[in-house]
Amino acid sequence: MIEVRDVHHVYLRDSPLAAVALRGISLTIPDGERIGLIGPTGSGKSTLVQTLNALIRPTSGTVSVDGEDIFAPKADRRRVRQKVALLFQYAEQQLFEETVAKDVAFGPRNLGLPEDEIATRVHEALQSVGLDPDRFGPRSPFTLSGGEMRRVALAGVLAMSPQVLILDEPTAGLDPQGKAEFLQLILRLHAQRQLTVILINHSMDEIAQTTERVIVLDAGRVVMDGPTRQIFARAEELEHLHLGIPQTAQILHRLRARGLPVRTDLFTLEEARAEVLRVLRPA
Amino acid sequence: MELTRYVSIGQYLPRDSVVHRLDPRTKIGVTTLLMVVIFVITDFTGYGLLAASLVGLFLLAQIPLGYAARGLRPILFLLLLTFVLNLFFSGLREGTPLVRLGPLVITSEALSRAAFIALRLVLLVVATSLFTYTTSPMALTDGMERLLRPFRRIGVPGHELAMMMSIALRFIPTLLEETERIMKAQMARGAEFQRGNLLRRARAMLPILVPLFVSAFRRADELALAMEARAYRGGEGRTRMKELAFAARDAVAWIVSVFATAVLLAPRWLGLP
Repeated sequence: MIEVRDVHHVYLRDSPLAAVALRGISLTIPDGERIGLIGPTGSGKSTLVQTLNALIRPTSGTVSVDGEDIFAPKADRRRVRQKVALLFQYAEQQLFEETVAKDVAFGPRNLGLPEDEIATRVHEALQSVGLDPDRFGPRSPFTLSGGEMRRVALAGVLAMSPQVLILDEPTAGLDPQGKAEFLQLILRLHAQRQLTVILINHSMDEIAQTTERVIVLDAGRVVMDGPTRQIFARAEELEHLHLGIPQTAQILHRLRARGLPVRTDLFTLEEARAEVLRVLRPA
Repeated sequence: MELTRYVSIGQYLPRDSVVHRLDPRTKIGVTTLLMVVIFVITDFTGYGLLAASLVGLFLLAQIPLGYAARGLRPILFLLLLTFVLNLFFSGLREGTPLVRLGPLVITSEALSRAAFIALRLVLLVVATSLFTYTTSPMALTDGMERLLRPFRRIGVPGHELAMMMSIALRFIPTLLEETERIMKAQMARGAEFQRGNLLRRARAMLPILVPLFVSAFRRADELALAMEARAYRGGEGRTRMKELAFAARDAVAWIVSVFATAVLLAPRWLGLP
């Protein structure tokens, strides 16, 4: 469980270029939840997630993981980062090793694990992201496609065996099919490894399809926090923040405005289709 | 973990001041003049006057003095080294001895010389940082290109040099941001950069350098393509949106600085003590 208490952060504090990023964030993130973190550009999403695994030390406030203050003087940062993994935006750009297997092994090796344990983890991690370890392991990461490279980067993070997986716009720049596959992969990992998932994303459809709780940030504050369906029901407020709602919900809202008595809190095509049919074809 | 925090030297600070509005050519010229003066002056009185006028210029440019001092941080080590070396080894062993540390002697002459050299370094850095704080990279390269134009006949590729410089300057913050992001990404995978001996630390840089090089090359490729797509083919026949033009304030700046230089240097030229 992650607990965030009154976290404030200012970049370049005490300089003419100071920029306030977080203004008093408090959150509780229970184990195993799938959370969507949304907000306009510059609302503090990326800063917030970096405070969760001690990559950024907030100007004030506390963050604790499983009850331990991660910024305490003798806190073990490496252990925190093993527990709370973060996949950065365009993560394929962090690959550096000669082979895929070596790159995935970077994390476990930093944790000081024995060689055979490292090998097992690399194998498992590559399998979990849908890359055949025997085929892809010996290849250079720079010969792979963009989507494959991103999977390798995800494998590199998974090889740390985290409890919490934070993904900063993991589908940005992938083609539609690549996006869908990547989201399926995240859902599968959540189910298989009982991971807590925190997903930053600009596509409300993707958020609606993958998360059960949504946190909305604006100007460094939490402005909404609740179950995904309830949050997306507040269409007007979201539009006010230039965020919008999933496309299916938009269509249902318009149908409703034209007099068709449909529910508007449905986010998958199947649900929407069933709802429209239900209303159009009364028993 | 905020790299940009440590790189304040040479960072443009947009303000609405008369110093900012000066023509970049004027600022290049006046800064050069300042450098010459700093090297020619050999007494503390001169440096005192110079320091006072620099403080005045910083106030005029609306740049906080603390910010100017921060620009000195990167050269702190060099400054100390120069000071210590001059203190002990400047060859001024004759004179009034102040302290004796075994074979080493500090004379009051050496102390004053060491202080003087250190002060010279500080003034040089502060004067040039005033220039970069108040001149946008764009204006800087424009000014440089214009000043180099007369030398094209003898084969100086002024436009190309200015273009390379502006691209390099433009990408410093981008590369810093990227370095920071990649460092964090590797730290998220348990990397540590401040641990172990020199060799281990150097090896720990590899996971940063490889991605950085890969992306720098990719970026260069994309930039070249983007420039060609907009029909860039060198400076020949290229027109500018903003032509540089001298204004009355430039004349004032020139007159004041030439006059001040003359006053500071006149005693030397006239052979006065």
